[in-house]
Amino acid sequence: MTDASESRAVTGGTGLSGAMSGLRHKELSQSELRELDFKVSRGSQDARDDSRAENAIEDYVVKSERSRLSQPSSTVLRDLLDISSFVQDAAAAIVDDSFLRCFQSQSSDPWNWNIYLAPLWLIGLIVRYLVLFPLRLLLLMGGFLLFFIAFFTVHAIFKKDPVRRARWERALVQFQCQVFVASWTGVIRYHGPRPVNRPNHVWVSNHTSMIDYIILTAYSPFAVIMQLHPGWVGFLQTKVLNCLGCLWFNRTEVKDRLIVAERMKAHVQAPDTTPLLIFPEGTCVNNEYCVMFKRGAFDLGATVCPVAIKYNKIFVDAFWNSKRQSFTAHLGKLMTSWAVVCDVYFLEPQKKGKDESAQQFAERVQRLIAERAKLQIAPWDGYLKYYTLGVKHPDLIEKRRKVFADRISQYIKPKAQDHSEVNGSGKFGADQAGPRQRPVTRHTS
Amino acid sequence: MGQALSFGLTQYDVEELKEHCDNRFTQAEIEGLYKRFRALDRGRKGFISHEEFQSIPELSINPLHTRMGQVFNHVNFKEFVHALRATSKRASREDRLRLIFAIFDVDNDGRVSAEDLELMVRQLAGTSLSEEEVTTVVEMALRDAGATKNGLSFEDLATALEGAELNMDVELPLAY
Repeated sequence: MTDASESRAVTGGTGLSGAMSGLRHKELSQSELRELDFKVSRGSQDARDDSRAENAIEDYVVKSERSRLSQPSSTVLRDLLDISSFVQDAAAAIVDDSFLRCFQSQSSDPWNWNIYLAPLWLIGLIVRYLVLFPLRLLLLMGGFLLFFIAFFTVHAIFKKDPVRRARWERALVQFQCQVFVASWTGVIRYHGPRPVNRPNHVWVSNHTSMIDYIILTAYSPFAVIMQLHPGWVGFLQTKVLNCLGCLWFNRTEVKDRLIVAERMKAHVQAPDTTPLLIFPEGTCVNNEYCVMFKRGAFDLGATVCPVAIKYNKIFVDAFWNSKRQSFTAHLGKLMTSWAVVCDVYFLEPQKKGKDESAQQFAERVQRLIAERAKLQIAPWDGYLKYYTLGVKHPDLIEKRRKVFADRISQYIKPKAQDHSEVNGSGKFGADQAGPRQRPVTRHTS
Repeated sequence: MGQALSFGLTQYDVEELKEHCDNRFTQAEIEGLYKRFRALDRGRKGFISHEEFQSIPELSINPLHTRMGQVFNHVNFKEFVHALRATSKRASREDRLRLIFAIFDVDNDGRVSAEDLELMVRQLAGTSLSEEEVTTVVEMALRDAGATKNGLSFEDLATALEGAELNMDVELPLAY
């Protein structure tokens, strides 16, 4: 728990602190929460992490118990009725929560409703939709045509020479990605050294949209691990990108995840492969926050090269809200905007420390990326987009219920407690007499 | 030509809402709550559905999440503000007691009956208390309060909670 204060420092800065205040007052810090969440999301693979999470829960329970005992003596009715802390927690989550914030598109304030600016805006709109968009579409389609002809020709010609075939295919994919970037007038600045092919290295990046991959590959080809999509994206994924050694999986299938983990290991260790790119958040985030990094990429024993991608929202918000929008619509949005402005930073490769767990390593790399891309770290698992935390992990509710149950059961199970308490003038008998005593005596008689 | 930053709330609306919650919220807070309400109401239906409520992870692990879901079931913005007023820092003790009473009064008949209390204890304690224990606890509690057959009235609840701190203020998000 050495990094608890640090991670709180990163997250505590602005709005998040308010969002978490409901939980904060219980001394359950964000990193502890992250551990709880982490623990349940991984099952019980790692006994050590399990015990850390257990400790966090223990601490929380013990603290609540202590604060209860320090209060003046109470009655069973009062303990039953005083649900203020649960209500406070619930209300804090209702008025603001740090999870949904990570996935909200940032709508820019309207600026054009002004007699002077509206005509200009209207001209811009016409230019964007009626001039730029058709030109860009033409460029993209032309690019695709050339690409497919060349790609399948290369595929057929070099059947017997896989090394040369792979080199050609890589170059063609890179070309097509550059066409994509050009089709939204991508203004992209790459900082840091260009990635090279080397075994035992893996690149991890924050994730805003599928265009992250296009932007990176336009600069230097990457193999990627990604959710398999339906439609034309799926076609490209399975027919074209496979040549780079990309791995596809279905997020919700546990079996898929295991297979991918195996193949990921094999890919990283192979001597001459395309650099492997992983998005450890596992889902698209709005480029303002950074959700929990999954441990997979940091468990490989490979050197991790962090990549930070920061979009400038001046013309368009590059966040792909896949629940609201198809990828085609997302591309349409980008192609009808003036430009996509973005900075990409290749940061210094990081090795796992000797006494560092995979989770701590993941958090360290996450902090590096978040700092560079000016993101706030949120403690949530991004997969929560696809399930309800309470439904998937009822034990988290049960833990909190147990505290309440323990408080109540002291009134009905006096025998389990210290004998002196049962003997009439126990801790809730000293200053007040009356009806509350009755159940105790009934049990002892 | 106004810029629609207040999302269509007029001064009349804000004043009506402020009155509706007895001035527990300021104008800025109401605007912040309205922004939040619109974010939760994904389909722009004008109310918040049960699923939308359960999609808040921090809420879904609250022992009271089912009951809160009922209290906030299909609320429109006016009801939303009204239900939340007890969590304002300007809330009176009575506001807080009223909210707690409303939460306990599951069948909404103005009294907390033995059944109401039993349902609530089950939600609050989960599987950690057995059926008999729940019944015993509820019996004990009602006897303590000297309650009649109809269960607890609001006054009984207020007496029982006398001296309890009842801290439930939350920090509200601001719209801008």
